[in-house]
Amino acid sequence: MSQYQTMIARERKWMFYLLAILVLGAGFTPYLRIFLGLLLGSVVSFYNLYLLQKKTKDVTEAAGQGKSVRGIGTLSRLAAVALAVVIALRYEDYFHIIAVVIGLMTSYLVIMIDFFVHESKK
Amino acid sequence: MGILAAAIAVGLAAVGGGIGNGIIVSRTVEGIARQPELKGQLQTVMFIGVGLVEVMPIIAVVIAFMVMGQ
Repeated sequence: MSQYQTMIARERKWMFYLLAILVLGAGFTPYLRIFLGLLLGSVVSFYNLYLLQKKTKDVTEAAGQGKSVRGIGTLSRLAAVALAVVIALRYEDYFHIIAVVIGLMTSYLVIMIDFFVHESKK
Repeated sequence: MGILAAAIAVGLAAVGGGIGNGIIVSRTVEGIARQPELKGQLQTVMFIGVGLVEVMPIIAVVIAFMVMGQ
């Protein structure tokens, strides 16, 4: 497996762990609204992470073979974020909006922490 | 007024993100075309770069929708 493939597998694993912790938090703590918001944000963030990994792989493989691809999926990711925010604003009784925003940033935190931890091990 | 503020926020952030992403992707494609054996490393750098650049437009979209909702 290449360096990139091991990295994306690691990041997906950490996102799954995080989602599991958030589900436990929503199920067993009294802060249901906050944890549901975090969960919604994290699910959309995970989708964004998956899309970014897939598009990065597609673009670089196409570059190696001399083919062309259509974009890197920025619009899809922005639309997914917009959908999450609209859901959070529409169902404000169930989702805490600040928690949704924090949840949306989890995949970027995972990327950065994974990068720094992995770099420090070298 | 809220819609105007939202449009300006998203538009300016999208311009910045677009320029940043364009530079990252063009340099990565150039690098892979020159040295295909470095593809794994270049993929990693591109992934982290694009991820960090896209934080700003995403925050802008969130702020724009929150402003429009008020």
